Amino acid sequence: MSVDIASIDPYIRQFAAARSLLPGAGFAWLDAKRDAAIKRFGSNGFPTAKVEAWKFTNLNPLARTAFHNVAVPSQPALTKAVLAPYRLTPDCHLVVFVNGQFRPDLSALDHVPDGTRVVGLRDADEDDLHALIAPPSVAVDTPARSLFDLNTAFMNDGAVVHLGRGAVLDPVQLLFVAIPDSPPPAFQPRNLICAEAGSSATVLETYVSLGVGAYWTNVVTQIAIAPNAILRHYKLQAEGGSAFHVAATSVRLEHQAAYRMFAVSLGAELGRNEFDIDLAATDATARLAGVTLACDAQHLDTTIRIDHSKPRGTSSQEFRSVVAGHAHAVFQGRIRVAPDAQKTDARQSSRNLLLSAAAAADTKPELEILADDVKCSHGATVGDLDRDALFYLQARGVDEADARAILIDAFLNELIEGIDGQAARAYFRRACDSWLAKGSRP
Amino acid sequence: MLNIEDLHVEVDGKEILHGLDLRVPSGEVHAVMGPNGSGKSTLAYTLAGREGYAVTRGRVLFQGHDLTAMKPEERAQEGVFLAFQYPVEIPGVSNANFLKSAVNAVRRHRGQPELDAIEFLKLARQRLKLLNMDDALLSRAINVGFSGGEKKRNEIFQMWMLDPRLAILDETDSGLDIDALKIVAEGVNALRDPGRTTLLITHYQRLLDYVVPDKVHVLAAGRIIKSGGKELALELEAKGYADLVKAAAA
Repeated sequence: MSVDIASIDPYIRQFAAARSLLPGAGFAWLDAKRDAAIKRFGSNGFPTAKVEAWKFTNLNPLARTAFHNVAVPSQPALTKAVLAPYRLTPDCHLVVFVNGQFRPDLSALDHVPDGTRVVGLRDADEDDLHALIAPPSVAVDTPARSLFDLNTAFMNDGAVVHLGRGAVLDPVQLLFVAIPDSPPPAFQPRNLICAEAGSSATVLETYVSLGVGAYWTNVVTQIAIAPNAILRHYKLQAEGGSAFHVAATSVRLEHQAAYRMFAVSLGAELGRNEFDIDLAATDATARLAGVTLACDAQHLDTTIRIDHSKPRGTSSQEFRSVVAGHAHAVFQGRIRVAPDAQKTDARQSSRNLLLSAAAAADTKPELEILADDVKCSHGATVGDLDRDALFYLQARGVDEADARAILIDAFLNELIEGIDGQAARAYFRRACDSWLAKGSRP
Repeated sequence: MLNIEDLHVEVDGKEILHGLDLRVPSGEVHAVMGPNGSGKSTLAYTLAGREGYAVTRGRVLFQGHDLTAMKPEERAQEGVFLAFQYPVEIPGVSNANFLKSAVNAVRRHRGQPELDAIEFLKLARQRLKLLNMDDALLSRAINVGFSGGEKKRNEIFQMWMLDPRLAILDETDSGLDIDALKIVAEGVNALRDPGRTTLLITHYQRLLDYVVPDKVHVLAAGRIIKSGGKELALELEAKGYADLVKAAAA
């Protein structure tokens, strides 16, 4: 494969400058991992449309910009009050990152309960670092993982959330705030969520921008859920309009572990939200759902891979998009059922609402089923609002614009209603409502 | 009053109504009966303003305004109500939220103050009770999981809430058992008043045992071919449409 040298060269040079200042520098094994990762990135470059996992998402606009990585970015002054509108609740545990750097002064971690640990990556111990570096167990070809490698090379901060046996943490919010500058910066956070046996946690990731201008968030989140533990994982991607957001989340579930995820993606010029879920032991459950709201020229991609490795696993993927302007939504969902994973129940649904003639949605289900006693289903739709429903509302006196808003709202509400927890439901409804108020009107 | 003159309507480029004339004075209930495919539902949808029902000639005057120039919601705000033959299921929208939006859109148009949530619920509960329907309907999604009878009763409930000047009931009797039919009929009868015009579109005479019309019109092949009193419905029931249609074609 020929790689565009111009697009990778700045990163190679920046890595050489940052290497000795990155967290964990001096651990020979970690230095070696970072060196190997930047080397792979150098030979694979940015994924192109020829890489199957990226066929619908063209990274040229990202590759053309030389984003700037430094080990320790300068820190703008900020107050807690400025961040208040983005908080899940006024009193939730809060970990704030500004331009990728942990800011204890803006965070709220004084009341983290016994048996749990929430720290920045620079305060992580060597075991945490090992866990952060663990490769995802879901099989993906290396060129598709190039940006994951870039994160491994540059990761300079992030949140480590550790739940001891039986611990309960409800909820903690990881708030990533970008205040972009020139040259356009790249942020490479690496998060670790480790839930030991029987623990229970709710973690919300929020990405917002307080400035204007281009930047790139390239985040990797590693999650391990031990037997009988449960993680409710929420994510709001509300990056700035000129931003790029690439996120890779990998989750490994043990026996009877449960993972529930809900994501709303509505920010960034180009966004990719990728999940690799391994139901690595028996009787595990993974429920993923989400909403993509795209307008103007946005390109927002959700890519899910679920591996059922062991028997009696349950998984569901329920994703919807509302696409306006000449925006483009992508959903790719893969389900793989290993020969050993009998009695698997796996479902997938992708529904896409196009509000304008120039809006587009691509949806690709992919099922690889190697066991014979399984239940698997998938369904996908792409279309306009239901004409019959629209007429029914209008025939009762509701204006066309209001009728459209009611139907779009209902389309989203069906998923939002399914979110566990009143605070998270209200948080996502607010995010969707403010988008609908400005984004969907033709 | 409703005055339809020489109405020609095309659907998908094919003419379905070929010069339909019909006058329904205020305060009266008229039945339009006809065989399948005669254009009954086309008439109903055309009056309500459904997309794809193109009026190529003629006009529909209601209270002095030509309805054909109005959007569906403008007609509804002027007081036109269509009870659907097949009420649409809309997941994710509660009956209460939808109907409150609709009632207030109509009230705004009429220069009446909007109802707040408490006033709306009070009125809705009172109407539901009169129709012998459960309050739970309000929090359910529109028509989702409703039986055929429940959907039709929901149409009558909406009609009561919107207080229309022209009520068009498109085969509201179809698929109903006798108890549901009686409730629907009582609902229609209760709304008979000098300020309201009602058009019952039906294939069968059955509903007319309970809602006695002032006049009966026979629609066949896109035209009204005969009009008469309520006894015409009984005659149709006994003899069928075939002879009438043949005589009209001759």
